[in-house]
Amino acid sequence: MSDEKSLNTPDAMKEERGGTVKKITGIPRKSQLALLVAPSFIWLIILLVLPLITMIGLSFQKSAFGVDSDVFTFASYINFWQNSAYQNLLMKSLWISLLVAVISIVLAYPVAYFLAFHAGDKQGLLLNIMIIPAWTSFLLRVLAWRLILGSNGLLNTFLMWLGVIQEPISGLFYSVNAVVITLVYIWIPFAALPIYVALLRIEPGLLEAASDLGARPWQGFFKVTLPLSIPGILASFLYVFIPTVGEYVTPALVGGPNGLMIGNIIWDQFMRGLDWPMGATLSLMVMLIVIIPLVIMARAAQQTGILGGKSE
Amino acid sequence: VFGDDAEAFAKVQSGFKADIIHPCSSWWGLYVESGLVQPLDTTRLTAWEDIPEAFRKQSEINGQYYFVPWDWYYEALLVRSDLVPEMPTTLADLWDPMYAGHISLWDNGEVSFATAALAFGIDPFNTTPEQDQFVKEKLIELKPNLLTYWLDYTQAIELSSSGDAWIVASAWQDTYSVMVDEGYDVAYVEPEEGYLAGLCGYGIGTDNTNLDLTYEFLNAAIDPHSMANFTNEYWYGAANFAANEFIDDEAAELLRLDDFENVLLNTRFYQPLTAERRDQLSDLWNEVKAAP
Repeated sequence: MSDEKSLNTPDAMKEERGGTVKKITGIPRKSQLALLVAPSFIWLIILLVLPLITMIGLSFQKSAFGVDSDVFTFASYINFWQNSAYQNLLMKSLWISLLVAVISIVLAYPVAYFLAFHAGDKQGLLLNIMIIPAWTSFLLRVLAWRLILGSNGLLNTFLMWLGVIQEPISGLFYSVNAVVITLVYIWIPFAALPIYVALLRIEPGLLEAASDLGARPWQGFFKVTLPLSIPGILASFLYVFIPTVGEYVTPALVGGPNGLMIGNIIWDQFMRGLDWPMGATLSLMVMLIVIIPLVIMARAAQQTGILGGKSE
Repeated sequence: VFGDDAEAFAKVQSGFKADIIHPCSSWWGLYVESGLVQPLDTTRLTAWEDIPEAFRKQSEINGQYYFVPWDWYYEALLVRSDLVPEMPTTLADLWDPMYAGHISLWDNGEVSFATAALAFGIDPFNTTPEQDQFVKEKLIELKPNLLTYWLDYTQAIELSSSGDAWIVASAWQDTYSVMVDEGYDVAYVEPEEGYLAGLCGYGIGTDNTNLDLTYEFLNAAIDPHSMANFTNEYWYGAANFAANEFIDDEAAELLRLDDFENVLLNTRFYQPLTAERRDQLSDLWNEVKAAP
């Protein structure tokens, strides 16, 4: 009720706005909701739905320019299905994203765990320290890895100084490994946050109860903490997995000839090849292939009540 | 302002009104075909006759001239002489396992295709589908030898100066000039197959009505002094050969201006590509890059 009161404005103001006969508080809740949602709704329509429709239209055109742009064709889709190079690259991109998401979560979990249960007063400070690197531009952080991984880079120089290796390791840079390393680094803070929040929500009483009932710490972790943090893990997975499938900058900068991902080819189709229909088709395929497992996952999660929704 | 030729074309094509456009020769046909440029009145260009016939001929489409040739460049092998075990002499040498992991190729389908075709004795501008397939396989075969693809001039310089790339293929003279200025031990190797070369120039947008100013600008741009200055700074070729007398010896020697007739015989300039061929090449290149 209190939120309704806060919307109450003086009558004079109401008159200025064109004199609604009803008091603002009298606006039905549904309209209030509509009013609040409108800006983001319009935003989504203009920047997401309309471009998506344009993309779908584009994917059925024969060409983006000239007379051929009026020709309706499935050519791009047929090209995609017949061309194993594109399919393999898409699979490879999905594999890279999966790897990045899993590694990020594995590395982020202990960080989040420590923050939530052992950081004490320093929680706020440590949380900020974890997020600070994200204030630097994404591009700069990718470029920084060139300094570390290059053949004359910090890592090789250091290892050679230690005498661990005699020759610089060349496979580190311009490879799939470099892409995975860089992306994991970038996404760890984002993977840690949802897990951290999920862990915070766990009642300390539950763990105490577990230990009262004779569970060892590791049992308590696997039987209580981990299952309860699954919503956070799933959120982290989606946070990391979805944006990395379409990743373009990182593979372009550190991927070399074999570390390219589907995003690079899509960029190429639009910017260099001027084959916009093919670019649109590839983008839609990526979306489709990402969405299907997501929908299945979300449904499964809802049914088991794992996401904290009401399962009754 | 644009990043490369393809981006420029996309921009102009989708409605950007440009008074003057500066694409390179392989795009000229497409601009004319799409009605984006108007024919030149060559009588209003003071230095038109000083531009070699070979260059002017390239701008002639359907009996009319559309572009004022302005700059030209070679594509050669930029080699770190201090790092390579042996100097490469041909484009085919790029496939030599000796250089494994230390070659950088330009991320440009048209150029990489031409380079590979030339390396295996195929005329890059007149291929059969079987030859296309062959070139594609060769480009895939080359991948273990590659360090990475380079996207732009800055990256080419960085790759070469860091020593990671021993050979940067399809490098223009300007890249070489920067490396020399920085004091690196580099060589600019003309492959035995001959240079691939490009020519770029100014075209006038169809909707440009301010022609007096436009021609004034073009005349200033191809003025021998301004062109010579351009060559001396960047070691690009100047299309106005009246500029040659003002060009430094060093740049002239690199461009082999004294022997230009012979160079032309052994140099292949990029030919105008149809939209369809451009699509084919870009698909081919994407398949090469997507190949495992």
